[in-house]
Amino acid sequence: MGTRKRRHRLNSPEIRIPRFDAYERTMHWMSALSFVYATLTGLAIWSPKLYWLSAMFGGGFVIRGTHPWSGVIFSCVMGWMFARWAKTMALDADDRVWLSRMGKYATHQHTQLPESGRFNAGQKMLFWSQVLTALLLFLSGIVLWFPEWMPRSLRLAAILLHPVAAIGSIAGIIVHIYMGVAAVPQSMRAMLRGYVVEDWARFHHPKWFRETRDGNTLQKPRNL
Amino acid sequence: MLVAKLIDTTLCIGCKACEVACQEWNDQEYTLGTFDGSYQTMPDLAPNFWNLIKFNEVERDGGTSWLMSKYQCMHCADAGCIAACPAPGAIVQLANGTVDFAHDNCIGCGYCITGCPFDIPRLSPKTKKVYKCSLCSDRTAVGLEPACIKTCPTNCLTFGERDEILRVAETRAGDLRADGHKDAGIYNPAGVGGTNVIYVLKDASSPQLYGLPKDPMIPWTVQLWKGPLKWLGSFAFIGAILGTFFHYVIYGPQDPELHGHKEEEAPLE
Repeated sequence: MGTRKRRHRLNSPEIRIPRFDAYERTMHWMSALSFVYATLTGLAIWSPKLYWLSAMFGGGFVIRGTHPWSGVIFSCVMGWMFARWAKTMALDADDRVWLSRMGKYATHQHTQLPESGRFNAGQKMLFWSQVLTALLLFLSGIVLWFPEWMPRSLRLAAILLHPVAAIGSIAGIIVHIYMGVAAVPQSMRAMLRGYVVEDWARFHHPKWFRETRDGNTLQKPRNL
Repeated sequence: MLVAKLIDTTLCIGCKACEVACQEWNDQEYTLGTFDGSYQTMPDLAPNFWNLIKFNEVERDGGTSWLMSKYQCMHCADAGCIAACPAPGAIVQLANGTVDFAHDNCIGCGYCITGCPFDIPRLSPKTKKVYKCSLCSDRTAVGLEPACIKTCPTNCLTFGERDEILRVAETRAGDLRADGHKDAGIYNPAGVGGTNVIYVLKDASSPQLYGLPKDPMIPWTVQLWKGPLKWLGSFAFIGAILGTFFHYVIYGPQDPELHGHKEEEAPLE
């Protein structure tokens, strides 16, 4: 009964652990919005069977003009994200063990996984795969944007590379959205409002939780 | 019924009347030509210049050959521009084999430029759409021959039913071989399923001397993108959506109470 009582108290709004500051939230949602726009308009151009998607954004001629710009915005935000998170996202020894036991994570056997820091190894892999695909999408996108100025060999490579990178990126983001929306309750609030509660932090990111608590960046709950 | 245009390069005198006729009929905006030490009108095709007589000067067999070719859309049976085009109805293939651009549907992405093995379509910076020879589809539709054919003074250009044109071309190539041009032949590349623009070449073994690719094909990257990659992409997207959905159905969300360390629930004090 005591445990239950404390959880209720710790989940109360008074005890919020800051997780993403306003910069990070802005960064994340700018990349998300530009990504969704670029994905929907990109799919319209990818296959004639999905061309109907273009009607939602003003038609094919319009999205041919706007899709590259959404890519430019996305690329800039990814550059910002890289500058801000690259260090945090470096894999440590625990992360490597975590990755080798990824199946345990997917089947909720969390007690058999090494403890995670601010981001778990799955999040880190998503970050690095998105950095890589964003770079490929940017480079091949520039080539496809200005076909009249580009050598044929580059265009031929870009016409294949761009969708390949996009498929990898979109598949990763589908899983990312699932994690954020459904699989990990309260993570959506973390990215929208910026805070998590103590139980959440201790369960999902115990190393980070202890660092935050011991580093005194967390305002100590009264009874602690 | 397929139609075809025959270009008998051995009869071309380089008068460029076909260029003028093309410009006139298609009502092209006039662009000042560039002089670069050649008899060619322009160095290259342009969005408003669909038909260029190339003056290829070739040094071979101890002499100089002046090989003229008519640089224009080849109207392929298996067209790379259509394979690469993402906008439905922007490039259409008529029943007579003509490959025609419908500019109302063109989005100006320029993929057709990359898909074309002959490097024909040109993107207009002004309209942001792509242009090329239409085989005068507005003339052929009412039973007229294309403007370039109409104007050609030497019968280098002829137009008609494709089977008939192929027969004429083979006969002409045979005559040339009998005259001592042992490599004479026709250019109707199989890699793009044959073309509706057929050449008679004095040396069919080296079409690249005329500025024509030896074995044109739809680029393999375009084929891969339009073929297996479509399946791979659909598989990845649908797989990810169904996979995550059924993960939720089977395992549900992560829950600290159910899945965490019980001992970690010890008091913080």
